[in-house]
Amino acid sequence: MSDSPMFWRIVRRLLTANYGRLFVILLALGAGAAITSALLNLQIDAKRRLTTEFRALGANVIIAPRDANANSAGGTLEQALLAGLPTENAGKSVPAVAFLYVIGEVAKAGEVHHQAAVIAGAEGQGLTQVRPGRRTEYSAEKEKDPAACEIGAKAAEQFKVHMGDSLHLRNQGREATCKVFAVVATGGPEDTQIFTKLPTAQALADLPGRISLAQLSVTGTPDSIERFINALAQRLPGADVHGVRQLAQAEGKLYNRISGLLSTTVILVLILTSLCVMAGMSNVAIERKNDVGLMKAIGGSVRRVVRLFLAEAILMGIAGGVIGSAFGVLGSIWLGKAVFGVAAQPRWIVYPVSVGITILVSIASAFPLRRLASVRPASVFRGEA
Amino acid sequence: MFLRLVADSFTRRPKRKMLTLAALALGMAVATAALSVSLDVGDRLAQEFRSLGANLLVTPEADSLPLEIGGVDYRPANAGAYLPEADLGKLKTIFWRFNIKAFAPILELQVKADSFGADSFFNPPSGPSYTVIGTWVNHEVKIPDGTTYVTGIEKTNPWWQLKEGRWFAEGKNECVIGKNLVAALGVRRGPELPGGGGVVANDKLKPGSELFTYTLDRQQQLTLRVVGILDTGGPEDDAIIVPLDVAQSLADKPGQYRRLYVSALTKPEDAFGRKDPKTMTPAEFDRWYCSPYISAIALQISQELKGTDVRVIRRVAEGEGTILTRVRTLLWLVTIAALLAAALAVGASAAASVIERRTEIGLMKALGAGSGLVGVLLAAEQLLVAFVGGGIGYAVGILLARMLGQKIFGFTPEPKFFLFFMVLVLASLITLLGSAYPLRRASRYDPAPILRGE
Repeated sequence: MSDSPMFWRIVRRLLTANYGRLFVILLALGAGAAITSALLNLQIDAKRRLTTEFRALGANVIIAPRDANANSAGGTLEQALLAGLPTENAGKSVPAVAFLYVIGEVAKAGEVHHQAAVIAGAEGQGLTQVRPGRRTEYSAEKEKDPAACEIGAKAAEQFKVHMGDSLHLRNQGREATCKVFAVVATGGPEDTQIFTKLPTAQALADLPGRISLAQLSVTGTPDSIERFINALAQRLPGADVHGVRQLAQAEGKLYNRISGLLSTTVILVLILTSLCVMAGMSNVAIERKNDVGLMKAIGGSVRRVVRLFLAEAILMGIAGGVIGSAFGVLGSIWLGKAVFGVAAQPRWIVYPVSVGITILVSIASAFPLRRLASVRPASVFRGEA
Repeated sequence: MFLRLVADSFTRRPKRKMLTLAALALGMAVATAALSVSLDVGDRLAQEFRSLGANLLVTPEADSLPLEIGGVDYRPANAGAYLPEADLGKLKTIFWRFNIKAFAPILELQVKADSFGADSFFNPPSGPSYTVIGTWVNHEVKIPDGTTYVTGIEKTNPWWQLKEGRWFAEGKNECVIGKNLVAALGVRRGPELPGGGGVVANDKLKPGSELFTYTLDRQQQLTLRVVGILDTGGPEDDAIIVPLDVAQSLADKPGQYRRLYVSALTKPEDAFGRKDPKTMTPAEFDRWYCSPYISAIALQISQELKGTDVRVIRRVAEGEGTILTRVRTLLWLVTIAALLAAALAVGASAAASVIERRTEIGLMKALGAGSGLVGVLLAAEQLLVAFVGGGIGYAVGILLARMLGQKIFGFTPEPKFFLFFMVLVLASLITLLGSAYPLRRASRYDPAPILRGE
């Protein structure tokens, strides 16, 4: 373009002629861009975070003996398989705990009267994640004791024990003692059980190196959990690997509902935000009638005039988009912290997308200028609107 | 004259006003849709969370410790305490009775069972024993106020799905068997001989088959008709599910049950909800008691059902609480973002419409209008736009909220009337705020240079 210096000079003057107007437009575009990028980023992050939140529901995958006749209680697995479990799924660690259940007799240390109770030997990472509940009494220091044990709330009531007390456990002549480091309320069968270290239960049951089952809490979308289960089932042909239906079904349903809700709301808000910004900007754009009249009067072709205004719109879109989106991404990090307690990870793909959307909105807002082709310079100068 | 001026400005330049109106209406539509969805969504999601199953467990207070492993209680039938079934109607008389969505009592016992009864009547099968779970399905409960309420295990445990057939009917000797029993119970072994008996028949159970059950003390024998096959993915896959009355007669515990699952709609527990009710002041206690916190509902149930211990199933209640709170906050954020975008767009177009009317303002002032009058005139115009735009936006927003609700939850949110006022006030505030600065500048214009065109 031979006269491009002139072209850009005009564009520059168009932009800087009225600072108030420029400010209003940049504010509208920038705010739109900020909201777009913040919502997009937050939405991607929230969906991923949601799968993590579901783990508050506890173990969702169980490895049990294959001949799992619930009545025999005899089937056990090799404890060694615990070492071979995958430690990660979808970038999140997988808490896994092995349990060995023994029905033994229990009494508070020093008391004669024993009562039957389920003793669960537990070993592995993340007992509290696999078995969510509320510890009403807890001492981190006492947990380190090799003979430490945890007692369910209902059992604690029955045996009248508290943190720091000792329990006497016995089963068919084999005996052990343990020191209570926590009382846990889960509302489930765990409330009546006593959780010892795995070797203690194995010694009581005379089943060294065996476990009754292992519970895993796998983070991921319903599909990814399904794949995890299938892969694990192939690796452990001797065991029965299955998902907890109660959780799998509800989680899948809730995940779809919530992510659907988020996506639709965010898309709706984005569309309407764009429309709002567009309507506001168009209002500002119509004001340019005088400028167009003047340009046409001194010989500017319609195409060149429109090009001028398009260049202006694109420049404003870029400026508003770049600044606004940056604020939006930063804002979403902070918002993520407010909602989930963990800063949202910025997804850099969001940035160019939201800048692009802003430029599109800005160009679309210049749409009414197309009608300027029909502006007759003479009538503009006469002051006829 | 004032009104004429206002009316004139609308009729003279309808296109400009249309654009401002459109910006406003769109903005308010977003606001209305987002607000009505986020107002309703908490309740809807709380309902959805009931698919996680019961969140309260009721057991006898003075009970021996259950010996429960993998869902099977290894206590003998005569150990431990039982609760009366007749009391259960009282559940629907507590303060938060409408929040009790479903409940189902459970009575379990162990039996021997096989599918070839005829000749083994005097010689019950020697194989493993099986768990019989007696419970309600589609059971009509009599409420003390004279009405009835239909509930059952299929509502408290929605993941219990029938693979085949139907649920049993109450009062009949019918049963539903876990899917693992289809093959396990269909095998008939020969007489127990030294060296073991071989399999002499191998027939899978299906709806319509007969199942012979014997209590462990061999006092009772009952023939059940299999009507369905159950798939739960849990220990119930190895159990025989029967109507509660059948289990009661097998266990010789008429009118009694051992465990009760309750599924209640609750409010996520916040710091106040976690407080120990014993340490509360009477006013605090009243507030706590009258909030649908799970712990408050648990207390109300234990007051109504004497001699029970009501426990919160923590994994369900707490998982639900955290997720609900988070989704709610997230939606409010989206709503606020929508409001912000709407405010800015509306403010921008309001500002623009004031800036472009400098000539008009100059003329008015030249004709003797004071700054105040000009300001009031312009503000009145903006308010009119705000009311019309807000009204249209509300209508569009309600439609949008309906579409959203229908698509995601399959329900239509009730149009809330107070939202209408809220939206109108919001629209007025935003337009006035958006035009405040340009209006103030406009009222300070010196008419002479404007009229000269400078």
